[in-house]
Order: sequence, then structure tokens, then C-alpha cells
Amino acid sequence: MATVRLDRLHKEFRSIGGAVHALRDLTLDIADGEFVSLVGPSGCGKSTALRIIAGLETPTSGRVLFDGQDITGLEPRDRNIAMVFQSYALYPHMSVRQNLEYGLRKRGVPREERERKVAAIGAMLQITPLFDRRPRQLSGGQRQRVALGRALIRDPAVFLLDEPLSNLDAKLRVHMRAELAALHQKVRTTMIYVTHDQLEAMTLSDRIIVMNHGVMQQVGTPEEVYSRPANRFVAEFIGTPSMNMIEGTLRPEGGRLLFSAPGITVPVPPAAARQGTTGQATLGIRPEDISLVPPGTPGAIPAQVTVSELAGAERFHFIALNGHSVIVRTPAATVLHPGETVALGLDPERLHLFSGAGEDAAAIR
Amino acid sequence: MLRALRIYGAAALLLIFVAFPLYWMAITSLKPQTEVFRVPPTWLPERWTLEHYVELFLLTDFGRLFLNSLQVCLMSTFMALAVGILGAYALARLKVRGKEAYGRMVLLAYMFPGALLIIPLLLLFRQLGLTNSHLGLSLAYLTFAVPFVMWVMRDFFASIPIDLEEAALIDGASRLGALWDVVLPQAVPGIIATGIFAFLFAWNEYLFALILISDEALRTLPPGMMRFVSTTDTNWGLIMAASTLATLPMALAFGLIQRYLVTGLGAGGVKG
Repeated sequence: MATVRLDRLHKEFRSIGGAVHALRDLTLDIADGEFVSLVGPSGCGKSTALRIIAGLETPTSGRVLFDGQDITGLEPRDRNIAMVFQSYALYPHMSVRQNLEYGLRKRGVPREERERKVAAIGAMLQITPLFDRRPRQLSGGQRQRVALGRALIRDPAVFLLDEPLSNLDAKLRVHMRAELAALHQKVRTTMIYVTHDQLEAMTLSDRIIVMNHGVMQQVGTPEEVYSRPANRFVAEFIGTPSMNMIEGTLRPEGGRLLFSAPGITVPVPPAAARQGTTGQATLGIRPEDISLVPPGTPGAIPAQVTVSELAGAERFHFIALNGHSVIVRTPAATVLHPGETVALGLDPERLHLFSGAGEDAAAIR
Repeated sequence: MLRALRIYGAAALLLIFVAFPLYWMAITSLKPQTEVFRVPPTWLPERWTLEHYVELFLLTDFGRLFLNSLQVCLMSTFMALAVGILGAYALARLKVRGKEAYGRMVLLAYMFPGALLIIPLLLLFRQLGLTNSHLGLSLAYLTFAVPFVMWVMRDFFASIPIDLEEAALIDGASRLGALWDVVLPQAVPGIIATGIFAFLFAWNEYLFALILISDEALRTLPPGMMRFVSTTDTNWGLIMAASTLATLPMALAFGLIQRYLVTGLGAGGVKG
């Protein structure tokens, strides 16, 4: 059990072509027992951050502190951490039991205690019947469990997970995700979880750290990151299907601030308008925040249906709106046909405005 | 059908080309002296005899030559593996400045003709008191064996998923501990294969052995066997018997290596 503090972590990989900044100035405090996810597209620096915490990589500058103690210079084995790898990294020449025991053996834990702990982990993860098998004789889910067991058995201060579910098939992944959540409830160890799957991050975490190009974009609870994205990148990365983005301009008119793009004019909510930002801007709205309204409703935007997709309990409608394409999410019962004209209503309370058009365009609130 | 015939025909030709000298060697060693030179030659001995083998052990110092060779080869193989494996691991895994250039230099050293090395080595070894010593000869063989082991094992280590070592490091192992506990067990096929190659190289080596060892009691097989050839007479039966016995370890070794070369090449398997 430990708190983790990352203090202005910076990592450059030098190559002949120049330096690649894998991580820029990452500062973060993680509470004891917290489940934190680092999420972002590949190459965003999330794995580098995790490897620095593990001691497998040395930061170019900055510090890692566990419980206030600087451990930046310590070897991985002196950090009291455990890690689950994407590839599971089970030792192929050892049986499941030996895999579980290895860390205890290396730390000189006496035999009786080892056996007791192995038995306890086996019971907890229901892998006792597999003890004498080799990793190659296990299924993906079983390997995953053994890898978790090997990490758990040592009672680490911090538990690091590097995309542990991404080698599993979709159904098993959902199942293991739930198990992982239950496991964290049970052991209450600080867990740092790296994933590119925003849904995993959303469902498992106390807090999410969204990263892009080595820079932390936003830290917050899943709720915050979803409903109050700090910039356009976060807004588009979190949530499936992605938030709809319409590029246009902000201009004052008749004492109000208006967002306008070809065919669309939307009044800016008062809170955002107070900031007085004008000029190029992007309007974001989630597929579930667009509603189909009766034609003629004041403020409704006319549009044409392009494609309609049924996704089980809901439908996604791709709708052309004056040259923009937006996705609207409705219950499955709402049937629309391609070519049909509809009227769209945007919930003004749920609009997101970003100043500028790039992915780092900051939210106007 | 015709295609199979052609392939088998070609394979048979190749086999004859490669195996005939071995066959002739073995068969000649089992012929009596009078039959060795008969024209036309006999394909199988008319009278099978072990007289050359008896002679080899009673009248020559073949046994000692054999043991000397064995000792030198085992020593040099062991040292080459110990040094080469650590070097290969460092080249494959550690962040060492200029390791690419170093790796290429190692390959270059391996390509360097031994004949060019032997005179400087002789001068150096004489000053160090390493001539006429099995240790000295073993060390000289390292000039070839270490680059070879490093070159092969480096690729071998690179093919082992790095996650395994990192898992071991986190589990509490030191670098060397991870190498010993986790990496080497994965690399066993490669170690055996390169070890056998290094052994065979030393076993067959003639020039260094001839020049660095002049003490009769310390001679190894290849130069030792040359003494069966004299200016006036060559005892072919004896040479063939000695050659057959000297080839046996190699034949056995290749019997072993075949299996490991195949498993060695198939190693990997990231998901364990």
C-alpha cells in the first residue's frame, strides 16, 4: 500500500534523427489504494510512464516517489511493485506453481509461507487445478489469471498493469474486467493501469489520466472526463461513438455570443459566453445529446439521414447536416430511413465548445 | 513422380559426394595393410581387421593426443560460452554506447583469417608463457569461438521476449539472476548448438595447434596425426583408423545438434 507521486517526469529517446519526447513534464499524485488508468492512443507515453514507475526505464528528468520517498534511482526489485504484462510474460519453463512462487523465492520467503501464499492465491483466483501445468498448456484467460496471481502473491505496494486484457477475446475481456474490478475491491492496493481502450479505463478507474504525444491532457474521474473534457482531443478520445465535432466561428451578435458554421447557428450557453472568446472554434456534441424533434420546432436544424445502424439496444444514425456528418444515438425503436429528412435539436446544456480547431483546442466553459 | 525422382536423384548425388570420403576412410581403416593399396580397390574389405586400431593404441600416442584434444576443446568451449554468452546478452539487451559498432567489429574479428593472427599471437603468448600450454591454446581458440558464440547468441537472446526478463527483474531478480533463471533456460537449444560448433572448430583446428604447441606430450590430434605421414612412407591404414576415431565425436555431436538446431530456430513464443 503506497501513495505514488510523479514529479515532472520527462523522458526523451535519443536517436540519430534527433530526440523523441515520449513523456513531457508528467506530474501526478495517486492516492493509496486508488485505481488509476493511463489512457491514450499508441505512442502517447502511457507505457513509458508505467515503465518509469516500474524502474524498467530511467526518466531523463523528474522523480518518482512512493509514500513520499524518492525511488527514482532504485532497481525494479527494490521498489516493492508487481506488474502484469500484456504478453503475461509467464516463465515458459516453469509450472504455474513455480511461476507464482518465483518472486517469493527471490525474496527469500521460507518454504511454508510460500506454500501457504500459493495456496491462498490459487483459491482466490481459482487456478489451483492448474498448478502443475506449463504456461503453454493454458488458455488465454488462465494465463491472465496466473499472471495476476504472480503479481498479487507478493503483496506489492503498487500494482502495475500494462494492457493486461488486450490479448483476450472480446467476451473474456469483459469478464476479466469485472474480475479485475472485484479484485481491486478486495485487495485495495494502489493500481496503475495502462490501456488504449477508453471503455476499460472508464469502467475500472477511480481516476483517468488521458495522454497524447507524451503530454497529460486531463486528469479526472470517469464522469468528469466524459462530461467535461478539457480539450478537443479528450472529447474525441473518450466515448464511442466519438463526440461529433463541427468547426466554425464564435461571434458576438445582438449582445449574445453565437457559434456559427454553414447551416448551423447556436447560441453559446451563458457560462461559456462569459469568457468572451471569439474567432475560430469547434462545437462538440455527443451522439446521445442530439435529439430528433418535430419539424418546425424553434431552433431545430434540418438534416438528411445517410445510414442507420442497429447496435442491439440502440441505433446509430449517420446524418448529413449542411456538409457536416454527425452521429445520433437513439433507442433501437427509432427507425429512420436513408434519405429521410429529420429535424435535430441540440441540448444547449450539453454543448462543448473548444477555442480553435486543433486537437489541443481547449474547452470553453 | 518424375519431380520426386529428380529431387531424390540430386539428393543421392550430393550424399555420395559428401559421404563417400567418410565411407572410404572407415572402410580403409578396417582393411589389412596389403589390401589398402590393391588395384582395383575393394569396396568392402575381403578380410575385416582391427589391426590398425590395435596398432594405433599400442604403437602410437593416439590415446594421449585424443585426450589432449578433448581437454583443449572442452576448455575453450566452456570459456567461449561463458564469455560469449555474457557478451551476447550485453549486446542484445543492455544500453551500451556504440554497441552496434562493437557488434560489427566482433563479426569482423570472426572473419579475420587465422593465419594472420598466429604470428602475433605466438609472440604474445611466448612473452606470457602461454606457449606449450593447453590453457594457451584454448585461449587462442577463443579468438574465433567467442565472436562466433556472441554473434549467434546475440540474435538468439534478441528473439527471447524482453517481457520475461522484465517480469523477473520486478519479481526480485538481479540482471544476472534474470539471465540465469529466465533467459538461459529459454536459450538452451542455442547454447548447445553454438557450444557444439565451437567445440568442433577447436577439434578440427590444425594451424594454431601446430605452432603454439611444440611439446610432444601436449600435442593435440590434428598436428599429432600428421606425424603418421613421413617423408618416405605414409601408413594409410593407421591414418584412416585415427581419422575414423577422431571423426566419431563430431558425428555424435552433429547427431545431437540436428535436434537442437531445429528446436533452437523455433524458439520464441511471446505468450509463453
